[in-house]
Amino acid sequence: MSDAAIHIHGVHKSYGRREVLAGISLDVPAGSRLGLIGPAASGKSVIAKLACGLEQPDKGEIIVLGEDMVGKREVQLGPVRRRIGMLFQNYALFDFLTVERNVAFPLEQRGGMAADEIKAKVTERIKSVGLAGSEQKLTAELSGGMKKRVGIARATVADAELVIYDEPTAGLDPVTTQKIYDLLTADQVRTKATVLAISSDVVALAQFVDEIAFLYQGHIIYRGPAATIADAPDPLVRQFVRGELEGPLEDVRKAQT
Amino acid sequence: MKFLRTRIERLGSGVLETGRAAVELWMVYVGTVAGLFRRGKNRPRGELARQMHAIGNKSLVFIIVTLGFIGMVMTYEACMQLSRITGDYSQVGSQFLRLIISDFGPTLAGLMLATRVGAGIAAEIGSMKVTEQIDALRMSGVLPIDYLIVPRFIASLVMTLMLSVIGATVMYTAGGLTAQYSFGVNPNLYFDISQIRPRHVILMVIKALSYGAAIPVVAGFCGLRARGSSEGVGWATTAAVIGGSFAVIILDFLISAAALFLTGGDL
Amino acid sequence: MIGGKFIEGVGASTLRVAQEVGGIVVLTGQVLRALFPPRIDRRELFKNLYKMGNRSVPIVVLTAFFAGGLMTLQAGPFVKKLGATSLAGWGAGYAVLREIGPILIGLMFSGRVGANNTAELATMTVTEQLDGLRSLAIDPIRFLVVPRVIAMIVMLVALTILGDFVALVGSSVVAKAMLDIDFSTMYYSFVDNLTPADFLHGIYKSIAFGAAIAFSSCYFGVTVRGGAVGVGKAVNAAVVAAAVSIMLLDFFLTYLSSH
Repeated sequence: MSDAAIHIHGVHKSYGRREVLAGISLDVPAGSRLGLIGPAASGKSVIAKLACGLEQPDKGEIIVLGEDMVGKREVQLGPVRRRIGMLFQNYALFDFLTVERNVAFPLEQRGGMAADEIKAKVTERIKSVGLAGSEQKLTAELSGGMKKRVGIARATVADAELVIYDEPTAGLDPVTTQKIYDLLTADQVRTKATVLAISSDVVALAQFVDEIAFLYQGHIIYRGPAATIADAPDPLVRQFVRGELEGPLEDVRKAQT
Repeated sequence: MKFLRTRIERLGSGVLETGRAAVELWMVYVGTVAGLFRRGKNRPRGELARQMHAIGNKSLVFIIVTLGFIGMVMTYEACMQLSRITGDYSQVGSQFLRLIISDFGPTLAGLMLATRVGAGIAAEIGSMKVTEQIDALRMSGVLPIDYLIVPRFIASLVMTLMLSVIGATVMYTAGGLTAQYSFGVNPNLYFDISQIRPRHVILMVIKALSYGAAIPVVAGFCGLRARGSSEGVGWATTAAVIGGSFAVIILDFLISAAALFLTGGDL
Repeated sequence: MIGGKFIEGVGASTLRVAQEVGGIVVLTGQVLRALFPPRIDRRELFKNLYKMGNRSVPIVVLTAFFAGGLMTLQAGPFVKKLGATSLAGWGAGYAVLREIGPILIGLMFSGRVGANNTAELATMTVTEQLDGLRSLAIDPIRFLVVPRVIAMIVMLVALTILGDFVALVGSSVVAKAMLDIDFSTMYYSFVDNLTPADFLHGIYKSIAFGAAIAFSSCYFGVTVRGGAVGVGKAVNAAVVAAAVSIMLLDFFLTYLSSH
């Protein structure tokens, strides 16, 4: 258990009367890459936010990078959050800052680095995500794919020990998707960070992560190696991954239209 | 029976919700005041100046226009009443000035700022909330209240006071011109500051600072509570205008009543 | 250098204001044209009347109560000084009926109903629901804007009547609590010194304020651009425009009514 970067046990979370997570448990071993899939609105993003302490569970325990995330005050969560990188589903770039300042933000806030050190690191990061030359642009001037890249640069610039990617490729074309995953892979190989990646695009995700977990109706109903996900023994998972309309999944048809 | 029960349930959850909101609003206020005493190293450089410009300079024309016109109306109405009864305009200027300084100046400026500044702050912070920029701030270990509300709070304190003074001056001057041109009131008689006591000025400062403190806290609170997407931002902005205006009216009432009580009715 | 920039800024904002005033005037024209022949969607009209009234009654009642009380508090020192308690109702009542009542209720209505209306229309605009209506050959002005404009004017007048009454009650309660003036003294002070003309003066104003709030809130709602950020900015612009219009109209109506 001590080698799990994320340890979630028996977590419940409801919004109003809708129970989104009904007692899920999920461990992500340190240094591994786990993909999390599931139908739309099944609570994947909620798990990501719980892991960062951005939301609090109704019940259950959450330990991330050795820190208990439950019941803490905002100030106490700061230090552990700075060790986590997060790519938000809709980028969440600061619209009042330039690309460069967006990427520099986590470093500036963490403190302990000289301005020129930060500058060098940020320039290197922006270059590695292929955005050299866009440093001074405001985020509103960027396309969706470029915003994702800025988000990735911001999530990884502080050499986070744990990186959470929420829909890293949603809404992007297949070529850009491939480029993004190549980038994420290269990055993880370099930093050995633990990765939790959330996506609905199973095929592309499968080549990036080692394992895939399937979230369905508030539970993790399947977890197995990414390479063989299409032949998983669970008929629910097989149906979801293959995109078949006929099968035991109830809400897939709704989610796909 | 069932109808009654759902009614009671709804009422109960409404009360609970209001209570929770009140606690949250209080927490935002406490967080803001605590933030004043924390080191501001996290805040972007030049943020305070930028907020002062956004809150103060950009409201200047708005305050001058609105308070100028209302100053004209008020003198006009007062002179009309007097013309029906005594026809003696000698007290209009000095009494109007007393009212402007101890109440109308800061309160009308406060109401106008609750509309313009409150809506602006709520729209900005609300948009950041629904686009998850607030969460992104928190991921870097930044307290959103510290980063976003504290600079606006300080700027609003300073600027509400300054705009109250400017607004009061404009109101008084516009009223004087109206009195002179429409009723032939002698300017030397109108611009008579002999009725003003230090306590009137103190009251003005207290009121302006109270409104200046309340407006950004209420608006920031509404912005941070925004949910969903564009409807959420619209809701937050609306709530900030109403909450801010109402806060100004309630504060005005409480402070005026307290002042009247403390001075034994001889304000 | 700085002077040039300043003049440039003044010019730019003057142009923007002119553009927006022009837009509001055009919208007003479209609404008036849509009234002939008066084919108004009844359901939409009644829905809005109910929603707007229902939503704003609590805030109007509270505001009016405190506004009335405040006027008594401001009149208090004079009354004490002159020892003329019979004038307290005159001062407070006159200010409430002609000025403070319509203005404060108008501002609150603008914040509650006008802002909400802008947010609603703006959300419909950014989610392309207005284009959806057009594709069904339904004129959004006729279907959405006209009922809202009518509902806002009617409701603001109704709320001002209610608010006037509550404000007079508020000033009587405060007179009793703070200045120890009897309810009957206040009542006779109102009755003896206030005329129906004072009350009607406030009501005329509320009609004009209602129209100003309605047109500016609808205008900024249907011309919004750019997602959630745009919606916030639209609401902000709508309440500011409504506040300025209320103050300007108040001046002109007061001035005109006495000539």
